Amino acid sequence: MNLFKNKNNSKNRNYMEDEDGREIAISVEHLTMEFKVSKDKIDTLKEYIIRTLKRNKVAPKKVRILDDISFKVYKGERLGVLGFNGAGKSTLLKIISGIYEPTEGEIKINGKIAPLLALSAGFDKNYSGKNNIYLNGAFLSMTEDYIDEHFDEIVEFSELGESINYPVKNYSSGMKSKLGFSIATTIKPDILIIDEILGVGDIKFKKKSNEKIKSMMEEGVSVLLVTHSLKQIKEICDRCIWIENGKLLMEGETKKVVKAYKKNANKDKKKSKKKKKSKDKSDDDKKSDDKKSKDKKTEDKKSEDKKSKDKKTEDKKSEDKKSKDKKTEDKKSDDEKN
Amino acid sequence: MFDTFAEKKFLLKQLVKKNLTSKYKDSVLGILWSFFNPLLIMIVFTAIFSMLFGRNIDNYPVYFLSGRLLYDFFSSGSKGAMNSIKKNSGILKKIYVPKYMFAVSAVCYEFVNFLISFAILFGVMIVTGAEFHPTLILSLIPIGLLFMLVFGLGLILAVCNTYFSDIGYLYNVFTLILMYASALFYPIEVVPVRVQILFTLNPVYTAISTFRECVYGVVPDFLSLAYLGVFAVTVLIIGIILFRMYEKKLSLEL
Repeated sequence: MNLFKNKNNSKNRNYMEDEDGREIAISVEHLTMEFKVSKDKIDTLKEYIIRTLKRNKVAPKKVRILDDISFKVYKGERLGVLGFNGAGKSTLLKIISGIYEPTEGEIKINGKIAPLLALSAGFDKNYSGKNNIYLNGAFLSMTEDYIDEHFDEIVEFSELGESINYPVKNYSSGMKSKLGFSIATTIKPDILIIDEILGVGDIKFKKKSNEKIKSMMEEGVSVLLVTHSLKQIKEICDRCIWIENGKLLMEGETKKVVKAYKKNANKDKKKSKKKKKSKDKSDDDKKSDDKKSKDKKTEDKKSEDKKSKDKKTEDKKSEDKKSKDKKTEDKKSDDEKN
Repeated sequence: MFDTFAEKKFLLKQLVKKNLTSKYKDSVLGILWSFFNPLLIMIVFTAIFSMLFGRNIDNYPVYFLSGRLLYDFFSSGSKGAMNSIKKNSGILKKIYVPKYMFAVSAVCYEFVNFLISFAILFGVMIVTGAEFHPTLILSLIPIGLLFMLVFGLGLILAVCNTYFSDIGYLYNVFTLILMYASALFYPIEVVPVRVQILFTLNPVYTAISTFRECVYGVVPDFLSLAYLGVFAVTVLIIGIILFRMYEKKLSLEL
């Protein structure tokens, strides 16, 4: 470590490291974002002048989307962002990729970013797929030579074949996203920013795009991933942050954060369950629990019953009864089979 | 993102190309309209006004066209830059692209259009038997200064129009007034002498009159060019400063 530190201390532009000497890819400090959501937004000059003269300009109401968020992504690290809908995850990614300017706070980025956010946003619908490769490449800050070099690769990966010569307005949405994905992923970035992208197009392409992203993640690329798929987060990310209502709720190892996140989600579900008193068991975990208990039941029914009782002290008695009934039924059927 | 000049240059090229192709999409003649449009307008104006003002003006078609081309560039260039941010809000809200690139590309696109229609001016000069004077080279000065003026004004308007959309409508009326105040199709001598001073304060008229002098073989007045230069540079500086101040806030207003 010390050796590296000495080496790193040589003056390098854009170079960032924390106190421990780990190189930082993205550093977000006290990030706050506010959007104006005034009900009567002044967007005509007449209104502006009249209101200024009358002095009843209402200060626009502001909504805080992100509130004092700080975190770091180290080089080569894969950070997952968890949070329910409307928590501010996408806004965070947009700010990091430079689309929005934060109200307060600072963002430092060390390296070339590839934001895989809106893949077909830069398409011109009257252009052929071919021309759109160049146009979209330009929007992603590629140079002409670079696209020339990778043109065949893009066309091949997109699986469009002859359709590459047709105008994009005749493309299906799947074709569009396939082309967009193929263009955006030719960049060799230092930092990859992904918002719910894993899985574009049909099953075949989904598999291919997943592999492509995984191959991009290799070779020490830092990743910032937003997704609702806990499976993907567990698979990919080393560390996670959990944002709720614009605040950083938790930061830490993936396992720990995912567990807490899941628990929170289940708690909410249970609450709503109690209210509705619905009989449906929509919870995946419970299903899996049931399955497990089913398997175990045949081995030692009584002790398992006790355990499950202990476990489900929080649950309602009626539910316990139901599960008991179920179990006995299951047992009967099992016995019959045997 | 967009750190090197090559990346910006390529984006600019693509944006100008996109404007060119989208403007004439679905039209049979396509880019040829860039020639025909000023030509047809010139024919109409010549037919109507050469009887009124023909006696005072030497070679009316060239007189009209030399003014009209510059005015067209001014009006469509500044309007293009003005609308560039709003028009591309879909892209700006989803991808990071330096916003000024859209304003630059709009002005550059109109400039390309202007250069294309220049061929019409030369064609008309040949057909009408007008002489090609060496002072024609000097016409690059008023053109360059006009470009700066259009770009600076476009940046200012782009910021204002994003905040208040009625700036756009207001500006359309303003350019109409400016057209009549630029002596496009009538000789300046028609205007009373006292009012002529007002005309010389109009930078678009100054650009047109100095450009015309170059076409007609007169070395343009230095004072007029200096006035136009100072005006254009001032507007350009204000435009750049204003745009830089508001650039980052613009995506929140879209």
